[in-house]
Amino acid sequence: MFTIDIRPDKLSEEMLDYSRKLGQGMENLMNAGNIDTGVTPREAVYREDKLVLYRYQTPAGVTPKPVPLLIVYALVNRPYMTDIQENRSTIKGLLATGQDVYLIDWGYPDQADRALTLDDYINGYIDRCVDHICEAHGVDQINLLGICQGGAFSLCYSSLHPDKVKNLVTMVTPVDFKTPDNLLSAWVQHVDIDLAVDTMGNIPGELLNWTFLSLKPFSLTGQKYVNMVDVLGDPEQVKNFLRMEKWIFDSPDQAGETFRQFIKDFYQRNGFIEGGVEIGGQEVALKNVTCPILNIYALQDHLVPPDASRALKGRTGSKDYTELAFPGGHIGIYVSGKAQKEVTPAIGNWLNERS
Amino acid sequence: MTDTGTFPNDWLELQRKYWENWTDLSRKATGAAAPTTNPWEAALDHWWKAVSPAAPDLGRDFMTKIMDQGKAFFALADGYTKNLGAMPGAGLGTGAGDGWSALSRTLEDMQKAFTSGLQGGDEGSRRLMAFWELPYDNWQRLVSSTSLVPGDALRNMPHKHLNQALSAPGLGYTREEQAQYQDLMRRGMEYQQAFQEYMQFFSGLGTKAVGRMRDFMEAQDKPIESARALYDSWVGCCEQVYAEEVKTADYARISGRLINAQMAVKQRMAIMVDEALGAMNMPTRSELRTLQDRLQETRREYKALRHEVEALKRQLGNGGGPRPALVRTTATPPAAPKKAPPARKVTPKPAPSK
Repeated sequence: MFTIDIRPDKLSEEMLDYSRKLGQGMENLMNAGNIDTGVTPREAVYREDKLVLYRYQTPAGVTPKPVPLLIVYALVNRPYMTDIQENRSTIKGLLATGQDVYLIDWGYPDQADRALTLDDYINGYIDRCVDHICEAHGVDQINLLGICQGGAFSLCYSSLHPDKVKNLVTMVTPVDFKTPDNLLSAWVQHVDIDLAVDTMGNIPGELLNWTFLSLKPFSLTGQKYVNMVDVLGDPEQVKNFLRMEKWIFDSPDQAGETFRQFIKDFYQRNGFIEGGVEIGGQEVALKNVTCPILNIYALQDHLVPPDASRALKGRTGSKDYTELAFPGGHIGIYVSGKAQKEVTPAIGNWLNERS
Repeated sequence: MTDTGTFPNDWLELQRKYWENWTDLSRKATGAAAPTTNPWEAALDHWWKAVSPAAPDLGRDFMTKIMDQGKAFFALADGYTKNLGAMPGAGLGTGAGDGWSALSRTLEDMQKAFTSGLQGGDEGSRRLMAFWELPYDNWQRLVSSTSLVPGDALRNMPHKHLNQALSAPGLGYTREEQAQYQDLMRRGMEYQQAFQEYMQFFSGLGTKAVGRMRDFMEAQDKPIESARALYDSWVGCCEQVYAEEVKTADYARISGRLINAQMAVKQRMAIMVDEALGAMNMPTRSELRTLQDRLQETRREYKALRHEVEALKRQLGNGGGPRPALVRTTATPPAAPKKAPPARKVTPKPAPSK
């Protein structure tokens, strides 16, 4: 069967059309202005070092549920992805289901934060944020939602402080770091993490950007910009694209000691599966996580493969374990229209049934 | 350039002129030589040179990225149409049967470019070969952004005579200093070798991608009718080949070696910078790190003590300060037994002045 039929005259038209979009798009690009991030009103209720704990404003007409929800995002990216634009906000969706939403913004570590360890983050920052929320609401437990590396932190926290977590939601969270399709894990096995941290102190965000882009270099640094020409004609779509672009490259530096421990204990030694992870002198064991768990993963996730997340099943002490598979990618699970319709309401309903 | 409103018009006018020239050439006797330059790419370059100085920094960087990818896109289309135009009896309205021959010629040109380096193949194929430089172009940008040294500074270090020089032992008062520089050079050479191994890894993949493209085209049951579809297919084949190769143990070893070699160079440079700072009686990085570690340990101890004090206050009924221990209303599962804090990790620092 003949498979190609590109006529020269059609080709010329296609090239002319592409060139026209490029020319017109230049104006929209130059007029794009400042790229704002975060759309839902919020208040900073607690600060410690570079950390800020935000509480989001409940929309009018919605009565928040009694058990507040704390979102723990990863350190490797900025958390405004969960609230990136008006019609693509996981935060908004959760508020609409009645959750009283808090989020930890880790800020931008600098070399003064180099010595922070996983103990400082999990038994320190997260625990003090939980205490603050409990004090403010007069409760002794909160709901916890961990995203990606934040999900791993949330599992650690739930293992070390099971008395403080009522329900746990993990989104695109790696549990088994050595599944065959985990490229990041495969690549890091031969990296001397001690040398890297001893040399650089904090790990630069640029190194993480390079690593993530290297997963699909031709699509992410090439094809994306060819396809982008198709949206340049619409100023709103240009802004949306630039917001994503800002987020993708807005990677904070990683506190050196935390990075050292996280990569060695989880990526290299597969700590959740093999055991042996100690934080603050206590062993982290998934069997100590006894609260209800909702584990959400993305079926086309190239950063945290589905099997890496599914490995949580059967490894905790929970008697109420639910999985939700989303047909999308690692980022789409927060920002796609489909996710807004399916994932966020599912989280809200699941929490409401158990709070 | 001050009137942004004329940009689209100027751009379109330029395109119209090139398009007219291009179709005019296509209509001439097919024995006539095809243009040696890609008119679309040339038009894009010409327009961008005029426009880019006026663009804001964010827009300029961004548009440069789009330009580069647009050129790759145009190059593929140009290569294909050039070969299509060279078919006997070809021209506008060419029958579908010649399309496959044109594509095969395009793929052969690309293969020639990949196997014979930048000297082989035509301009379009060379640009497509540059597409496969994206991975290590990204690495060089990273290196540039994390050091004062440009990303390609160590790329062509001559090492033929260096080995001899590096094996000579230091003598006299400056012995230690000489040893430091020798070590820096050795690490630089190791980095160069690691980078060359990294580049060599990718040099064979372009050819594989062309073969994959050919297999992909042969397996299709619906015709490809646009340059964009052709380009997307090419990107898909490149990603497939790339994904298969980078999950091998060999690649993990090569990329690990590259990162470790780069870190080793930086480590030696950091030691030498610290020594220079110390000689100028200025604070050094290693001193600051020691202070940071001690400060962080002190803060941890302070927070733990404060926690205990607040708990004691509550026990005594003073009610002061925030409540650190909660009044539990639910049954608490037994807590894991606390172990003694581990000994503080001390990473052996590289010996200075060696």
